[in-house]
Amino acid sequence: MFGIVFRQELKVLFANRTWWAILGLLVALTVLAALNGQARFAQMQATAAQLNQDEATTQNALKATVERYEKNPTGDPPSVSSPGNVGLSILGHYAVMAHDALAPLSVGQSDVQPFYYRVTAHPPHTFLNASEIQNPLNQMSGSFDVAFVVIFVLPILIIAVTFDLMSREKEAGVLALLAAQGVPLRTLILAKTAARAGIILAVLLALVALSAALIGADLSAPETAAKLALWFGVIAAYAFFWFALALLINAMNWPSVTNGVVLANLWLFFVVVLPSVVNVVAGTLYPAPSRVELTTEMREATELADKEAAESRESYLFDHPELAGAGANLDNFYIQVLATDAAVEKVVTPIMAEFDAQAAKREGVVDLLQYTSPAIAAQQALNALAGTGNERFKNFTDQVLAFHGDWRGYFTSKIIKGERMTAAAFDAIPAFAYTAPGFGLAQTAVDGPLLFMFVVGLILVLWAIRRYARYPVV
Amino acid sequence: MIASIARKEFIAALRDGRVMWSAAIFAVMLIAALASAAQRYADISQERAAAQAIVNEQWQNQGEKNPHAAAHYGVYAFKAVTPLSFFDTGVSSFTGVSIWLEAHKQNMAEGEPARDATAIARFGELTGAFTLQMLLPLLVILLAFASFAGEREQGTLRQVLAMGVSPLDLLFGKALGAAAAVGLFIAPIMVLGLIGLAMAPDGLAFFGNGMVVAALYIIYAVIFLFLTLAVSAAADSSRTALVVMVAFWAVSSVALPKAASDAARLVHDTPTAIAFQRAVAADLETGVDGKSLDAQVNERREATLRLYKVDAVEKLPINFQGIVLGLQEQMSNAVFDKHFGQLNGLMLRQQGIFEAMSALSPRLAVQLASMELSGTSLGAHLDFAAQAEAYRRNLIDTMNKAMTMNSSGANPEYRAGPELWGQVGPFNFTHPGLTASLSKLGPSFMVMFLWLVASVIAAVMAVRKLKALIA
Repeated sequence: MFGIVFRQELKVLFANRTWWAILGLLVALTVLAALNGQARFAQMQATAAQLNQDEATTQNALKATVERYEKNPTGDPPSVSSPGNVGLSILGHYAVMAHDALAPLSVGQSDVQPFYYRVTAHPPHTFLNASEIQNPLNQMSGSFDVAFVVIFVLPILIIAVTFDLMSREKEAGVLALLAAQGVPLRTLILAKTAARAGIILAVLLALVALSAALIGADLSAPETAAKLALWFGVIAAYAFFWFALALLINAMNWPSVTNGVVLANLWLFFVVVLPSVVNVVAGTLYPAPSRVELTTEMREATELADKEAAESRESYLFDHPELAGAGANLDNFYIQVLATDAAVEKVVTPIMAEFDAQAAKREGVVDLLQYTSPAIAAQQALNALAGTGNERFKNFTDQVLAFHGDWRGYFTSKIIKGERMTAAAFDAIPAFAYTAPGFGLAQTAVDGPLLFMFVVGLILVLWAIRRYARYPVV
Repeated sequence: MIASIARKEFIAALRDGRVMWSAAIFAVMLIAALASAAQRYADISQERAAAQAIVNEQWQNQGEKNPHAAAHYGVYAFKAVTPLSFFDTGVSSFTGVSIWLEAHKQNMAEGEPARDATAIARFGELTGAFTLQMLLPLLVILLAFASFAGEREQGTLRQVLAMGVSPLDLLFGKALGAAAAVGLFIAPIMVLGLIGLAMAPDGLAFFGNGMVVAALYIIYAVIFLFLTLAVSAAADSSRTALVVMVAFWAVSSVALPKAASDAARLVHDTPTAIAFQRAVAADLETGVDGKSLDAQVNERREATLRLYKVDAVEKLPINFQGIVLGLQEQMSNAVFDKHFGQLNGLMLRQQGIFEAMSALSPRLAVQLASMELSGTSLGAHLDFAAQAEAYRRNLIDTMNKAMTMNSSGANPEYRAGPELWGQVGPFNFTHPGLTASLSKLGPSFMVMFLWLVASVIAAVMAVRKLKALIA
């Protein structure tokens, strides 16, 4: 019986023009979104390539100047042989994060969080604040990406094709006829839903493959393939939730119009209202420290450090006795810069740590409260798979901070020991190598949401099936 | 006749549990959003004012210094918030809150709040404006989608029309009844909100803005009301009317603003920060007009020596280094004007794309107008940056002149003190008044007006062809 109804429904759906229009819309929007994401990330990659190139040019020019002097050492050594001048003034190193293969599918936080920093020998707060030029209007509106089509648009399309699944049959008087012919209600509704869900899932599967092709994802890389499979899993689970919800609402035996109103309200509730409420909750429980106060406190610290520059110098060397070798030729100016930097850093570090701690707690609240709304769960999971969630940028910043330690250490030790930058020393300047976090980081962020959406969907289906036992056909 | 139809619609709406539940939830969210806006305004305005006071004090009490050292010390400009800033946060989550004003450099604003938010903030912030822009239309749709189509399905439309009721009376009666039902929830909140605004610090200065904002949202709701009535009259069933209106709402309110942002980037792309810095650095080398600093300094040296009739810079009664700094500042200002001017121009052209696309989306139109009037638009941020920059230039100029006039060969160790620091005065961001905001809103007002007219005409035309029976 299921098979008969299922096949019949497929026939009806294939002949239905509205249905084709809805599928066409889904395909068109996804293709547009994928191309759009692709263009955005291609631009970022071009920027990244440019950074490394210019970086190398500057460094080579400095090295060449020093080399010329080494071949013909007449007069004073060039100023670029001063490690302080190079590390604290002229040179910076661009630490660039490489984007994941699936990043173009979900822009996520990548229009807000920097994907590169210009690391210098100054403390981290001096370069961590830099941001890319963006029109705030564009950031506010967000990007039209595949994740948006999935999270916002897909449920609307699902609601549009399911809200009157049963009620319409009843309103048209068909239901009584079918029941009279001995078609079990549950079989009928499940077959009808399955036909629709089957087609949509098939289309989604095709769309995932198509968008992967459009963004040029290399599926021969096992990790990318696995992420894409999970991506489809998340979309499928999300779609399953909305189908299940529609199935349940249909089981309430309300008129079609009421079903439509209720489902529209539920969409609004899960996709618009709950996320904004959870955002308020997370922000109120664990607000970020004030950046405004940070600014004034940093300034006070800088001034204090300048005033006490001499003493600070002593204490800096006291803190770093290993650097104050006997007979070290101290470059006074840059020593003083380092001392001031250290004094400011002492003030800023605990505040920055507070920023991080609060951010981690906020993310913790969201990790927990994502289970109030499948839309939040789906967003978190899709961002994690695309590598564009906050945790990914945090991981990048941590790598940059570790690298900054090496880079700064390289120059400060030379400054304090009074060494000059030789041509060989330029080659030995540490370079940043980004390591993408393993599959695990994405996986842990995806498992919970995936399971949640699937289980909730299943509960809704079972609940609906129970209700259909008492569904009046007339 | 219109009055009695309106009364019937009003009572029917109040008896509809669906509508009342939706309206009650909406009202609770709006009240919560407004209350939190008042709280945030109180906190943040105080915090920014305190920070500005600290920075001003630091400047004033920096001790005795060479004026150019003071110029390097500089000050910070903090963006003061308006009483409506948290009713409609606009773009302010994505713009910096302070700018460092120092010698030789025009810096960009720092400290975007969005960097400290979780990814779910991107779904939208729960503000009064967000609630009104996103939820109010949906409430109106739920209230009105069945107005004609539902009566047709029940067969009452046939009876009413047979009684000789004019379709236009029916339309305006239904509109009035629905408006009264929504107004029952919204009007008291709006009035309370406006009273709260008037009582907030600086609130009276923005009361006019608040009134215009309130009026805009009322018009916005009316647009959706007439659109829904038009669709309800023309649709073959209330089911279709609901689907069409919800789809229109979703596309125009949710999808189009995102599409607008991508279209804006495609059409007028802004440079990357690195490209921008490089372009500025390149022009700082050569000067905008191709005249290098050295050439300008030489020219000025000759002229100054001639003026004072001496043959060497050391013999001048003034400090020529101060003049050099002034020239350098003039030259770099021209470079900043060129590049920041181009960048701001690009961003405003991107906003133009949003304005153009608001022709398809009433939400976009009301959103642009609402944040402009709330002082949280792109334009307001650029105003802040411009005022801060003007303040910086005056500050640097004052320092350079003091250096030129007071430290000379006779007095090389000149140190300025609090009198000079005090000459600069504190920085205060003054938000452009209502008239200035209104003058920028031509496109948005025009779009809203056209939507209003079009929705009423559509409704009138739809009821003129009203069919009493289901086809």
